[in-house]
Amino acid sequence: MVSNLFGGSAKQSQYIVIVGCGRLGSLLAGDLSSQGHSIVVIEQNESCLGNLSSEFSGFSVVGDAAELATLRQAKVDKADCLLAVTSEDNINLMVAQIARTVFEIPIVLARVFDPDREAIYQELEIDTISPTQLSADLFLQRLGERFENQSQQSAK
Amino acid sequence: MRHQSFLRQRYQAILGYTGLTCAIAGLCILAPLLALFAYPEEANLAWGFLLPGLGLSGLGVILWRSLAPKSGATLTLQEGSVIVVLSWFLAVLFGTVPFLTVGGLNFTQAAFESTSGWTTTGLSVVDVTATSNLILLYRSIMELFGGAGLAIITLSAIAGPVGASLSSAEGRAEQLAPNVRRSSKLVVIIYSSLCAIGIVALRISGVGWFDAVNHSFAALSTGGFSTRPDSIGYWDSPFVEAVTIVLMLFGGLNFVTIYLLLTGSIKSVVRNGQVRLQAFMIPLVAVIIFFGSAIGLYPTLGKAVRVSIFEAVTALTTTGFSTVGYGDWNSLPWIGMIVLMLIGGGAGSTAGGIKQLRIYILYRALISESKQMLLPKGAINETQIWQGEQRRFLQAKQIRQVSLFVFLYMAIFFIGSAIMMGYGYSLQDSLFEYASAMGTVGLSVGVTAADAPVGMLWAETVGMFLGRLEFFTVFVGVACMIRDFGPMVSRQTKPSS
Repeated sequence: MVSNLFGGSAKQSQYIVIVGCGRLGSLLAGDLSSQGHSIVVIEQNESCLGNLSSEFSGFSVVGDAAELATLRQAKVDKADCLLAVTSEDNINLMVAQIARTVFEIPIVLARVFDPDREAIYQELEIDTISPTQLSADLFLQRLGERFENQSQQSAK
Repeated sequence: MRHQSFLRQRYQAILGYTGLTCAIAGLCILAPLLALFAYPEEANLAWGFLLPGLGLSGLGVILWRSLAPKSGATLTLQEGSVIVVLSWFLAVLFGTVPFLTVGGLNFTQAAFESTSGWTTTGLSVVDVTATSNLILLYRSIMELFGGAGLAIITLSAIAGPVGASLSSAEGRAEQLAPNVRRSSKLVVIIYSSLCAIGIVALRISGVGWFDAVNHSFAALSTGGFSTRPDSIGYWDSPFVEAVTIVLMLFGGLNFVTIYLLLTGSIKSVVRNGQVRLQAFMIPLVAVIIFFGSAIGLYPTLGKAVRVSIFEAVTALTTTGFSTVGYGDWNSLPWIGMIVLMLIGGGAGSTAGGIKQLRIYILYRALISESKQMLLPKGAINETQIWQGEQRRFLQAKQIRQVSLFVFLYMAIFFIGSAIMMGYGYSLQDSLFEYASAMGTVGLSVGVTAADAPVGMLWAETVGMFLGRLEFFTVFVGVACMIRDFGPMVSRQTKPSS
């Protein structure tokens, strides 16, 4: 009600925790922050926080996301959404699992490089995005298109 | 050529957002007209407010609508500084008009009064007994808006630029929530609720409605304009003083601390360095005032205690209400008051001064440096400080910034005081008055008056402006404008290839 009075955006502002502030994490943090969401970034290496763009107006926590104390410091218990996007599959899996089972966050997304592991994630009911799988799919798709073109040309 | 078109594009956005901020400032100038419902007999003065208010708002809206990018642009800290400096300058400039037209001041006095209002100083050259209610309310509303900060109000009210550069440039780097817009909204909600509570509390303690509104605004913004020549001393009531002290303390507290206090994180509040420093300084100086002067000057013990506490709080929170004059005090309480005024309120509060956080950081750095000397050569010694709910470690960079800031503050303080001494005032008076102006306090020993020398009033005006925006923002903003103005205009005359 009050936020409407002050001209709040129609979209509800979500509390989003982003684990890992590399190229992907900082990009997500900047974009989501400029959309008006509340963002907290957890990153182990303080110098990586320099990746954040000036669009970012959230908080950052320096620490190991695999530790409960760090997650509590980032108030993960109040989060609507958690994105685990470190460069380590195992860390992403562990953080996502903690977020899902201990803190019961409704939306948890994790990045996983190894497509073989996606099956395990699905068993644990964690939504995953695999850059490896995504690029493989795109490569195959492009390749398929080229093959089709070739076969059409040779048929003419 | 490419650089020029880039600069033009950036400055379009800058001017657009400056316009947005100015539109809000214009509304602030119009706001006192609401008092016409209570005082319809002053309707003949309304044009003095309508003219600058509509002018500034109109100019602002035109700039905003025509220049600001449709999808909130990202600004750097430098660009934020340019916006803050430009919009504060325009707010001060247009803010002089009501004083010039219906307040009966000349331009120097009007500029002084307007700056004093926006920067929440509270030094005044207006004769409050002879002036209209509209002007009195106008001064308080300027302090109300200036206290929260024009950038914060802009960010909270209407969609502004993306990112935290604008609020950081206005000296509000610490946020309440992990999104700058939500944080600004929280600040405005907390601030306006406190003001409403303050009005009711003052009314209950026996102050009339009009005075209650004005004093609540002036106390929470740590401004200190009063509607009475004797300030809070007019009522001479312990209740009014107690309520005012509480309001002033809230005004001098960091907004993050108030938020933590309201959400019940007492632990975070207690271990906050600024709160500790304040809890140490106020009693210390109150005791100095009590034994130094008050006990011998005032008829009853109760009055002496009240004066000691009230004056210490008003100086440290940089509010500037007073219950007595200081002319008959000894030197020791004077220096106590000057030190409090130099330290000032919490960083990220409505108060001015060097800020308690900086003093606390320097104090901790000093302790850790001394410890380091006693330790073996290779030993590592990290100093932690609590800020909000987060534990931070002191960084060499931070200590350097803080030290430079304090050096600059003291340098300008002594230059300003020297200018006042040049006009023939005593050392004591000059130090007191300039500390008061720079710290946006507003306590006066009677030097600042309508008949004061023009040069001295301007020296104080500059001090108030620099003090409120914390120097660096002003320097960076002005330097950027000077640097970019040349390339933006000069190449225009060359034929484009």
